[in-house]
Amino acid sequence: MEAQLGDAGQLSDRVILHVDLDAFFASVEQLRYPHLRGKPVIVGNGVIASCSYEARRFGCYAGQPLSEARRICPGVVILDGSEAVYRAFAERTFALCAELSPVMETFLDEAFLDLSGTERLHGDLFERAGAWKECVRAQVGLPVTIGLGPNRMVAKIASKSVKPDGLRWIRAEDVESVLPELSIDRLPGVGHAIGAELAKLNVRTIGDLRVFAPAILERMFGAPGRALYERCRGVDTRPVETREIPQSVSRETAFHEPAANPREIEGMLYYLTERAARHVRGLGLAARTIDVWIDYVESGRERCQRSLAEPSDQDAVLFDRAVRMLRGLLTRREALRRVGVALSRFSAGVAAQSDLFDGDVALERERLTQSLDLVRDRFGHASVVAGPSVQFLGRLVQDRNGFVLRTPSLTK
Amino acid sequence: MRLERLSEAVKVRADFHGGEVSPLIIKRKTQELRVACITARWEDRKGAHKVHYFSVQVASGDVYQLEFHTGDLLWKLNSVMLDS
Repeated sequence: MEAQLGDAGQLSDRVILHVDLDAFFASVEQLRYPHLRGKPVIVGNGVIASCSYEARRFGCYAGQPLSEARRICPGVVILDGSEAVYRAFAERTFALCAELSPVMETFLDEAFLDLSGTERLHGDLFERAGAWKECVRAQVGLPVTIGLGPNRMVAKIASKSVKPDGLRWIRAEDVESVLPELSIDRLPGVGHAIGAELAKLNVRTIGDLRVFAPAILERMFGAPGRALYERCRGVDTRPVETREIPQSVSRETAFHEPAANPREIEGMLYYLTERAARHVRGLGLAARTIDVWIDYVESGRERCQRSLAEPSDQDAVLFDRAVRMLRGLLTRREALRRVGVALSRFSAGVAAQSDLFDGDVALERERLTQSLDLVRDRFGHASVVAGPSVQFLGRLVQDRNGFVLRTPSLTK
Repeated sequence: MRLERLSEAVKVRADFHGGEVSPLIIKRKTQELRVACITARWEDRKGAHKVHYFSVQVASGDVYQLEFHTGDLLWKLNSVMLDS
């Protein structure tokens, strides 16, 4: 079949499928505990990580403080959640995705699949998607919403419009009739801040945004403005890529009890940094920028961002920088509720350079890291506990994936 | 509803038919808990061996989290969500 360029400047025979695990964490808990089915359920610690649709009816939403959620939804069941369990369910669901297409890009609770050219294999794609949805329900037990469209953005808009447990296909020829009428907040990239700016200009629908020239949108919102210009016209040329290079890799957790001991805080920062660094190494990348943040119990968040002279993927190098940033942030006599680290500005992995004065220390360190990664790939992250995080042995529960933290960070 | 952490070894009568493990009866101290239904199951690995996890509801309505280690063939109760 010959691909044709459609009105929106994209291949008109592309079919992208977006699959979204509805209220993922909360749905898993409702599956595990039948008592919770039909009841408002929240998973989170401090703030909502995921809430069931029953809780959403009361006005609960992800990111909302739990204190507020308890106030607006008095009977709500709040659970800490379990990273390992959610990971297992996500992996099972994404393994089923492979039945539909090998070209797949997965995130925490959603995935994009490129179904272009699979009609001869699958037959009617809408029917196939519907059957697959039932298969996920039967085999994994979770509800999913599916959207199909000529590109990633339209597929996601399609799924968002029929959540939860829905299925919709917005075909290339229907984009022009569907898209302009939709509320502006349905457009990917329009978050709280941009939405508020657009509301001041009385931009209510995606169609309303089309009157603005690209230069105007770029001046108003910077680089995202250019993307908005294209998106409001249904244009999205991003391919579905199996191997995603993330903007950043972050790991954060809340302490089981507020922590005031610098040794404990540094130990947790080391653990989070080595987890993030191992993920970055797995992608064959090295990070140039480190971001460290802490949440005081009373005074709220403090954060610090610094760049390295050379990008690195080594635990020791990244932690050395991160811990100096942490010490700069710890200025109050107050316990911490949470600590986190993010690595960003990635470049392709770098070879270690031998140090002029310390001989081959960097090379030795890299070899050690490689060996540890091999052991952990085979036997799980918990098979080796290193550095300042050794203090948590016996104090924190471990599973194959490492220490079981109070608030798991699964985001890629 | 109340969640209790347990972490105790138990004996389990299980069905291994078709290559799938399904717990049937949990023998906990002097109690014998008959599994009414398996509400969820998932897997993970510990070293080279698989660990099967189950959420099972017993006749009283309580839901137990159970794990089966294929390396040493041991069963363990993790927690219980009491229906009361």
